[in-house]
Amino acid sequence: MQKGNLYKPIKAEVLEVIEESPTIKTFVLKPEHNFTFHTGQFIELVLEGIGEAPFTPSSSPLVKDKIDVTIMKAGYVTEKIHQFKGGETVGIRGPYGRGYPLEKLYDKEVLVLGGGCGFAPLRSLLYNLQAEQDRIKKVTFCYGSKSPQECIYEPYIDELRSVPKFEVMRSVDKADDSWTEEVGVVTVLLDKIDINIEDSVAVVVGPPIMMKFGVQKLLEMGYPENKIYLSMEKNMSCGLGKCGHCMMGEYFVCKDGPVFSYDEIKGRPDIWK
Amino acid sequence: MNKYFTLTKENWDKALVNLISGYNIYAPLTYGENQDYELLLDEESIKEITYNKPKPATPLKTFFNPVKENVVNLKQPEKQRIIIGVPACDLSAMDIQDEMYLNRDYEDPAYKMHRENTTIIGTDCHSLQEHCHCTSYDVKPFPKKHHDILLTFFEGNITLEVNSEKGENIINELKKYTALDEPTENDIQKILDKRKTIEEELDNQNKGLPNYKKTGELVNNSGDEIWKKYSETCVSCGACATICPTCTCFLLLEKPGFEKVRHLDACQYPGFEKVAAGEDPLGELHKRFYNRYMCKYVWKPEQFESLACTGCGRCIEACIGNINKNELFMELTNQ
Repeated sequence: MQKGNLYKPIKAEVLEVIEESPTIKTFVLKPEHNFTFHTGQFIELVLEGIGEAPFTPSSSPLVKDKIDVTIMKAGYVTEKIHQFKGGETVGIRGPYGRGYPLEKLYDKEVLVLGGGCGFAPLRSLLYNLQAEQDRIKKVTFCYGSKSPQECIYEPYIDELRSVPKFEVMRSVDKADDSWTEEVGVVTVLLDKIDINIEDSVAVVVGPPIMMKFGVQKLLEMGYPENKIYLSMEKNMSCGLGKCGHCMMGEYFVCKDGPVFSYDEIKGRPDIWK
Repeated sequence: MNKYFTLTKENWDKALVNLISGYNIYAPLTYGENQDYELLLDEESIKEITYNKPKPATPLKTFFNPVKENVVNLKQPEKQRIIIGVPACDLSAMDIQDEMYLNRDYEDPAYKMHRENTTIIGTDCHSLQEHCHCTSYDVKPFPKKHHDILLTFFEGNITLEVNSEKGENIINELKKYTALDEPTENDIQKILDKRKTIEEELDNQNKGLPNYKKTGELVNNSGDEIWKKYSETCVSCGACATICPTCTCFLLLEKPGFEKVRHLDACQYPGFEKVAAGEDPLGELHKRFYNRYMCKYVWKPEQFESLACTGCGRCIEACIGNINKNELFMELTNQ
């Protein structure tokens, strides 16, 4: 149980702001003391006097003295933080919720399917799997984004491509002359992967519409419902399973999730909204 | 300690006059047809307290989760608080409030502080209102739990039944100012008989209403149409949720100094579940309306031990669209 006042954040300094795409930036934060999280758990990032919003850190959970948070400009709080240049003080509450089930990924061929800014929480998972290469059979990472300009973490993609057991495939909805990889929605990559589905677990994170079609495709390919994990994006506000804004059926996504297996959540109303 | 005490209304009032300087004491006062908890300030208001009549307009929960409160910079209470005249529907609702705010891995500091600072004097209901239907959900019209003292005003006398250490402390305080007698068995029997009569009246009034075991199934198997029909006059004002003793949702607003102000919130407000990217699972009115019923009768029962509706009927009384939850359930039952 978290000590002290649940609603009071710890402070963190914005060390660096990295522009990942025209709408996405990574903020490197230095918390006032070491911060521990399980990959896939999220934090509430607090802008003093402005508001707070939930984000899953994009950095490795093995790094304790810094946290990366990758943020797409989408609403009020994210607009404000996008104006930050570095040196500002923010607040962090958490970590909250249930992250990726690493133990279910060990000794498996892991398929990671990401779309758009969904790469952010997945990068944390990929870092974690990279550090635990001995415990997994292989990782196939399929990433889709709208255009080459909107593909994030270019340097990390290059790094991953050189890691044994890791395979990276990318697609963009709309290519330009510079693009040499696949073109089409991210699910086109699934037709090209070489994976033993019976020995595989899939993790899907991205915009709701991408997750919907991603899951549909994985089910068609033969993935069982309980071997598909999703990180759900809902209006997580308190992070404590109390305020009710993130309810999805009987679940409080902030506390029971945000990572769920598909069989846990299927049939709940409007899961893709 | 003896469990039952009795004293005349006159002596009770005199003792309360002495207590109001040391405690913040709230009790129901009546205005026209309505009653609500008020801070007792003088002898006049003490004399005017409404006893054994359902039910204060404000649910008990707002004493522990006020409409608005800074939950980071918590203001410590200056005095202990006593709340007199809490009906059983509101006391039963403390089950889910406590489960939500004191358990489930996170203990809420503001809620805990208010809860610890408060002594609750519950009361029997000696009459019923049009929409009272606690017995449909197995809640009796007299306190069973969460009260420190149970008060009954009957035939000119106040009878007090002690139910906790906090209750004993108040009895000891009262003893400083008045003598307390022991009621006779006959006195107690009369109170018990009265309870039985009221319970029967409630059962009678609510014949045919589905019980809590049945409501979930009915809501779950209902189809869209009934929710569209009943939400036609809903204006998303959120009164049903804010006045509900079991609803727990809130909104956090940010203040300078990394402080937070918590406001009571309602899933009936547009945008309640909307995310920054624009998706809004409860964007449509009938979905918000349906959501509240699913939450109370299907989802909460799956995740919580406690009832998420205690049949107080306030949501029916508060609805400016005249939506009657009991009529809705009767229609679902007869479908």
